[in-house]
Amino acid sequence: MKLDRRNFIKLMVGGAVGLQVTPLPWKITDDIAIWTQNWPWVPVPAEGAYDHEASVCSLCPGGCGIEVRKVDERAVKVEGREDYPINPGGLCPLGMGSLQLLYNEDIRFTGPMKRVGPRGAGVFQNISWDEALEILSGRVNVLRRDSRPEAVAAIDGNPVESTASLLIQRLMQTIGSPNYLRVPSFEDTDRMVNLLMQGVDGPVAYDLENADFILSFGCGLLEGWGAPGRILGLWGKWHDRENKRKPTVVQVESRASNTASKADQWVAAAPGTEAALALGIAHVIIKDGLYDREFIEQKTFGFHPWNAADWKEHQGFQGLVLSEYSPRKVQDITGVPAERIVSLARSFAKAKAPIAIWGKGKGDLNGSLYESMCVHSLNALVGNINKPGGVLVLDRLPLKQLPETPLDPIAEAGLKKTPVGAAAGEDSPFAANLLTRFNEALSAGGPSPVELLMVFGANPAFTMPDGGSMRRALKAVPFIVSFSPFRDETAFMADLVLPDHMAFEKWSEIIQPRGVQYPLYGLGKPVVKPLYQTQDAGETILKLARRLDKAAPEAFPWKTFEDIMAYRAEGLFEAGAGLVRYKPAQPPWSWKPFAEPAAGFKSSKDMWQKIKASGLWYQPLDHQRAAMTTFKTPSGQFEFYSTRLEMKLKDLNKAPSSDLVCMPHYAPSSPPSDSSRYPLAMVPYDMVNLVSSWLPNPPFLNKTLLPEQLLKDASYAEIHPDTAKAYGLKQDDLVQVESVAGEVRVRVCLFEGAMPGVVYLPFGLGHTAYDEFSRNKGVNPNDIIAAGADPLSGLPVWWKTPVQLNKV
Amino acid sequence: MVIDLDKCTGCGTCMVACSAENNVSVRPDESDPQRRLTWMRLYKVTNGKPFPETEVSYFPRPCMQCDHHTPCVSVCPATATEMDYETGIVSQIYTRCIGCRYCMAACPYHARVFNWWDGYFPKSKGMTRYLSPEVSPRMRGVVEKCTFCHHRLMRARTKAYAEDRRELEEGEYITACTEACPAQAITFGDLNNPDHQVANLIKSPYAFRLLEKLGTEPKVYYLSSKDWVRKLGDNFLPGQFEPVTKVKMG
Amino acid sequence: MDSALIPEGVKRCSPKAFFFWTLPWLALLLWGGVSAALCLLKGLNQTNMSDYFAFALWIVFDLAIIALGAGAFFTGFLTYIIGRKELKDIINAAVIIGFICYSGAVAMLGIDIGQPIRGWFIFWHVNVHSMLAEVSFCITCYLGVLLIEYIPLILENPQIEKVKPLRLFGQNLHGIMAIFAATGTFLSFFHQGSLGGLYGVMYARPFAFREGFYVWPWTFFLFILSAIAAGPSFTILCTKLAQAITRKRLVPDKAFQTLAKISGSLLGVYIILKIADTLGWIYGITPAAGLAFMDYFKEGPYGVWLLVLEIGVFGIIPAIILLTPSARKSEGWLITGCLMNCTGIVLNRFTFTIVTLAIPVMPFDEFMSYLPTWQEWGISLAVIGYGFLLFSLSYRYLPVFPKERELNPVVE
Repeated sequence: MKLDRRNFIKLMVGGAVGLQVTPLPWKITDDIAIWTQNWPWVPVPAEGAYDHEASVCSLCPGGCGIEVRKVDERAVKVEGREDYPINPGGLCPLGMGSLQLLYNEDIRFTGPMKRVGPRGAGVFQNISWDEALEILSGRVNVLRRDSRPEAVAAIDGNPVESTASLLIQRLMQTIGSPNYLRVPSFEDTDRMVNLLMQGVDGPVAYDLENADFILSFGCGLLEGWGAPGRILGLWGKWHDRENKRKPTVVQVESRASNTASKADQWVAAAPGTEAALALGIAHVIIKDGLYDREFIEQKTFGFHPWNAADWKEHQGFQGLVLSEYSPRKVQDITGVPAERIVSLARSFAKAKAPIAIWGKGKGDLNGSLYESMCVHSLNALVGNINKPGGVLVLDRLPLKQLPETPLDPIAEAGLKKTPVGAAAGEDSPFAANLLTRFNEALSAGGPSPVELLMVFGANPAFTMPDGGSMRRALKAVPFIVSFSPFRDETAFMADLVLPDHMAFEKWSEIIQPRGVQYPLYGLGKPVVKPLYQTQDAGETILKLARRLDKAAPEAFPWKTFEDIMAYRAEGLFEAGAGLVRYKPAQPPWSWKPFAEPAAGFKSSKDMWQKIKASGLWYQPLDHQRAAMTTFKTPSGQFEFYSTRLEMKLKDLNKAPSSDLVCMPHYAPSSPPSDSSRYPLAMVPYDMVNLVSSWLPNPPFLNKTLLPEQLLKDASYAEIHPDTAKAYGLKQDDLVQVESVAGEVRVRVCLFEGAMPGVVYLPFGLGHTAYDEFSRNKGVNPNDIIAAGADPLSGLPVWWKTPVQLNKV
Repeated sequence: MVIDLDKCTGCGTCMVACSAENNVSVRPDESDPQRRLTWMRLYKVTNGKPFPETEVSYFPRPCMQCDHHTPCVSVCPATATEMDYETGIVSQIYTRCIGCRYCMAACPYHARVFNWWDGYFPKSKGMTRYLSPEVSPRMRGVVEKCTFCHHRLMRARTKAYAEDRRELEEGEYITACTEACPAQAITFGDLNNPDHQVANLIKSPYAFRLLEKLGTEPKVYYLSSKDWVRKLGDNFLPGQFEPVTKVKMG
Repeated sequence: MDSALIPEGVKRCSPKAFFFWTLPWLALLLWGGVSAALCLLKGLNQTNMSDYFAFALWIVFDLAIIALGAGAFFTGFLTYIIGRKELKDIINAAVIIGFICYSGAVAMLGIDIGQPIRGWFIFWHVNVHSMLAEVSFCITCYLGVLLIEYIPLILENPQIEKVKPLRLFGQNLHGIMAIFAATGTFLSFFHQGSLGGLYGVMYARPFAFREGFYVWPWTFFLFILSAIAAGPSFTILCTKLAQAITRKRLVPDKAFQTLAKISGSLLGVYIILKIADTLGWIYGITPAAGLAFMDYFKEGPYGVWLLVLEIGVFGIIPAIILLTPSARKSEGWLITGCLMNCTGIVLNRFTFTIVTLAIPVMPFDEFMSYLPTWQEWGISLAVIGYGFLLFSLSYRYLPVFPKERELNPVVE
């Protein structure tokens, strides 16, 4: 048969019809359906042996107990632990999503690197650890040889008193530079309040578990304040249907936050006037005679008028409050009706165990010192200090001190130099180094006094509430070394990166979780082997120290970083007490006699092994009673008037200009800028489901953002509908929020719960580094915060910035 | 499941825990509530009062696991979703789903979400490393939904059988969100078992279900002592809503 | 070559003119092709559909063209079963329009589902309780019936007719067409109904939910009725359009009048029942769900005016026009009536699809908006392009209108 066109068509048609009666079409149909069920680009998680590892989360100072589920060597889920005293089984969103920080390679440094691209672009090249350490030690050695060790500076974001932090300080001492700077946090304010009023340079402990009236001045209890696992867990317990002892929670805040809404009462005081409100309450308590006379008479100083040794007359707290803070006056300052202040004061004072707490938002940032003192004086008025449900005066954890750092002549000379940007005096007598001043000095122009800056466990380029001053300062520093495990904003500016492990790859301590009222030492363990060529920053410091000329070796006699942690923990053993197992039935915050005696440990080594296994060491309150009796102020009493401060100022030849300097009082925050130009106030707020610390945000958390918080790349400013109306703004309108420091562009979210005249921006958005999950999403309020200095503490005033709105 | 809205702080851990447990894909842009994948969704509500009486609250919304004739199961043309009469869990068979989305149209809770994209697991990120082998990641073009962490039930059962038990203890099987909630706002158990806490909790005068009037018979209950919150749980004609006035304790 | 394919005794435009005429439709098809390829390769993220708008433009379009395509089965029913001989002059056109509508709809559905390759799971893993399964079965079967109804016409092409076995096959098919018409009618009744049922059974969506008879909600019957009321109108419109474009009379007026009268009467009945249904819904289902009627229209652009428009303007008025003999005898009024009738039905399908999904049921849920992407429009409009193309080709090469020769004697 000839294959002409006709036959060809016949053949094709015949063939096509014929195929239909074969199984082939059916087989193909079935096969491609099966193919869609097994698409090769849909991942198939590897199977393996299931296991779980108990540890402690060190991603925030709250330190929750965690249990990491593993499949072979892979960690697949982080869950809460029930045998840990902080969190009753639950976790916060960050902890829950933290594996995305471990396993997202795009946001991590996979090994030591040096910068090859322009600064800020994040282009780096791999180098070896040897080379990296050689570069760094070489630079330090050169500066030391030139007798300019003070040209080295370090910024430290590790928790206060953590071994990592101590080691960094030690390194700086050995090098001989006074330029050791800490990232401001609430810890700073807390400690200063504690020192001035109670005489202890340690964290403040709140016995919330036993309180029956909680008066919170802006604390984001549900936004991540303190140890979030503890507070959120408590919240649940308080609201248990069977719980008959639910405390009354009153939230003082200008915005209907989650805490304000869920609290029993919301008091909307104008932002920055909380101190006045606290003193207004104090006024009512004193005037109505509702204060704890016994406590005031026997255990406080500065309440009544007194004559000092120089016959100078002092008004005293009572006189100050009664003359200056009548409810009427306070109403004018705060906007809170006078009757409300009176009733609030009465219900606070009449409660059995009332506690007034302070610390704005999550507490990642500092607060106002005087304001915190005002709030704390309420606790003293009702005498609820060192009593169940009050503020407890605890000693620091009995960790062993590191031996004195041996100094060589270069170091000795260097340490005597004035720190960069230092200005100790009446405006900040207790802070030698302030990061904000350091930044100002660096960005002032001219040759940089700092030639080598090391950044540890911090991302100040993103977190500093300073209108971009930190970023300008970084630009001025010739050489920056980052120890961050993450490709964050600060690391992007670095010339050399010596990446730390991510928290799950190393041992990390939680030394007294923020706000907790019983001694607790948490220890997070490496739950997975390090994924990349990273190195524990502690080890890196030890290795660096060995490469430094002369001075170093004897200052760092330890082999490994763990050795130092174990060395310090010997102090816990020597304290002769403490437990390493926690049973939910026997909470350490109970004031009842603790049935179980302190565990006996054979040796400090034995104890350390046990701590490593369980992840904790703690002492029940019952074992602490003896420790919490005395105030360690110069007067030995709770001080409404800080004699320590008075003495300090006299030492500095800056005698207090008035009594007010040493006493809790209200002063309007932030210098009144041109109010016609900036008639509104920008108040940033924290969200528990958005990471605003130095860590990146796990992408899972993006799912929890509400539609009115982020739309594509635009974040929102919450504004009261009336304010919006005055500016002709509607929901979703684009608007520029402008302050002296700069401007950011956001969308408008109309929110009835926003105070009129205030613009609210969330912390945690607006990253310029990391990867596509975070980069360029929303704006960072820090960029427009015009940071004034908080009187006395010198820390930035970030909670209120005068702004203007410009419709785009 | 019983969710206590008085305890719920709106932190979103339940959403994160759910996504982590069930290998839910995350895309760079998750800001579109109409298209992001989440089995548990947190709704923010306000009492509508002017400043400073404004209050916000939250509704965490998993799949309601409707009983009886579920709106979604009966409509699926390909039997890709079923209600297990023994456990009451509404399942979803991803490999059978053809992606017609009729179930989504039928569900008034928006509990079902569609894979508009392939799962986002770029090789360079290595984020497949945290995926759990207990839940298979989904392909694009199929509907997914909360399964009450069905694999956890399987896990608990396997364990019980290995120990020669046929009945699960209360608390042996709980969902990831229940476990994760830092405020313990979620209680999980067998509603039909009078010994279980949930069976007791739903007797509260404060207990209610979402859109109860539609007859979907959800197996997720909410508790709230606030009238305005309870009132948002369903549609009410004027005068129809009855505030709780007398509460018996216990 | 081209002239050999054209039926005898009729006049067609030049191949060149015809080619230019097809260009816009080919362009639409190309647009649709690109859109379809994108949707199939990249997934449905190419559309603006969402978890809220699970059904969107495509489903509206689908439902609309299936309803409008009802002219095919209903005219077939009238022609072959009832025996209205005058409709033989229009039945071919009706069948082709029906075929276009149904095949277009099925093709769109194929793209609309997330896993088209697994689409056949509906048949394999069928859930008999699902209205969508019923729809799928009936539509697929009915598409087969339409094809069978269409084939004899294709076989009448002068070139194909030359092949004896095919000619005989075609004639035999003609002979038994009544059986297929009956089958088609049966199938169509069911799937038109099921499409209505699709919404009516969504008992958790009070806007769409309807009580009903046995397993079928009232929408089941209303959809059948509205489809057979609008279908003939659409057939009339299409044929009138063909007449206008070809500038010829193709169908005797009697056929139009019969269809128009029937369309009008059915529309009248439908509107009465629809009003009754709406009242039942307003006073029964709506308050039972805790809603007041106006609660449905609190947010978004879809107001109660849609309902007024659908029932009042595009329901009662066309019914009156088509039922008034003098009106429907006037060309202008006839077309207006048919057009309004069809608009009403499209509006009805739109309301059931989009408005149902747009209205939040949970009190704290928010109203979301939806606008189709160019890909969605592309695929929808491609069906129109495809329709024009297939109809034009059929008209050019097949004896679609038996009376064409008689009405337009070729003047030599």
